[in-house]
Amino acid sequence: MRDKILYVLGALAILILARDLYVIAGLPQEAAQGAIFKIIFFHVPAAWTAIVAAITALTMSVQFLRTKDFKYDAAAVAVTEVGLAFLAANLVTGSIWARVIWGIWWTWDVRLTSALVCWLLYAGYLMLRHAIEEPTQRATFAAVFSILAFLDVPIVYFSIRWFRTQHPAPVFLSSNGSFPADWTRVLLSNWLGLLLLAIVMTAIRLRQEESQREIDSLRRAAHAM
Amino acid sequence: MHLLAQTLLVAQASPEDIMQELARLQRNFHFLSYGFAAAWIILTLYVLMLVGRERKLKRQITNLKAMLEERQKMT
Repeated sequence: MRDKILYVLGALAILILARDLYVIAGLPQEAAQGAIFKIIFFHVPAAWTAIVAAITALTMSVQFLRTKDFKYDAAAVAVTEVGLAFLAANLVTGSIWARVIWGIWWTWDVRLTSALVCWLLYAGYLMLRHAIEEPTQRATFAAVFSILAFLDVPIVYFSIRWFRTQHPAPVFLSSNGSFPADWTRVLLSNWLGLLLLAIVMTAIRLRQEESQREIDSLRRAAHAM
Repeated sequence: MHLLAQTLLVAQASPEDIMQELARLQRNFHFLSYGFAAAWIILTLYVLMLVGRERKLKRQITNLKAMLEERQKMT
């Protein structure tokens, strides 16, 4: 049953994203930037998906520290790994856009740097988990690290409001925003597609954590024999 | 009005200007396709990584269960 739901969600995500790709191709080019502007339809939803993943990881980590229930630890690692993939997609698409508009692949701007630091912190979280053998100690240290890593997320989000950055000013949820309503609909639809994809990926990754726990208990049983 | 303005602009532009603008638009479009391709490649690679890990875990579970059954038979 669970597998069927995942297949349906995955297929739905692919359908939405394929349809959106067709819609995006038909949209007019932005006056100043031209076709490359359309990268926003992937760049921004990927960032929002990564933020949702980071908030979920924070919640799961706090829940683990509160309850010591390993299902929260499994959820935290699953959602962090998926969020990392989406943040990587966000950073790469942003860099490609920058090459055309700014003439450079990268600049040490507050938004870009804080996003890269965020990626490195969550990659560090996954590395930390590999470095600790004992499950309770691993889950506790990882939960604390995840909470600390989350401190960077508001900096990434608000950096374009707090500082004068080379990165464009916010066009959504802002008084200066001038994103047309029909474009916003496409962007939100693409976000829904990516979010569904992230949910499917997280559910698969979560199942793998359950399998890993089963392997650990089978190994313990084999040692005890 | 918009069409008239564009026609007047094109009439003033030299052939070099038009070629340059066409090249810019082409480059812009190429980079857009690289961007979408890169994003999809990252997500596809992650999915492939998940599939590979899933297979490895299933194989490990099967092997461990077989080993435990064998040991139980021996005892």
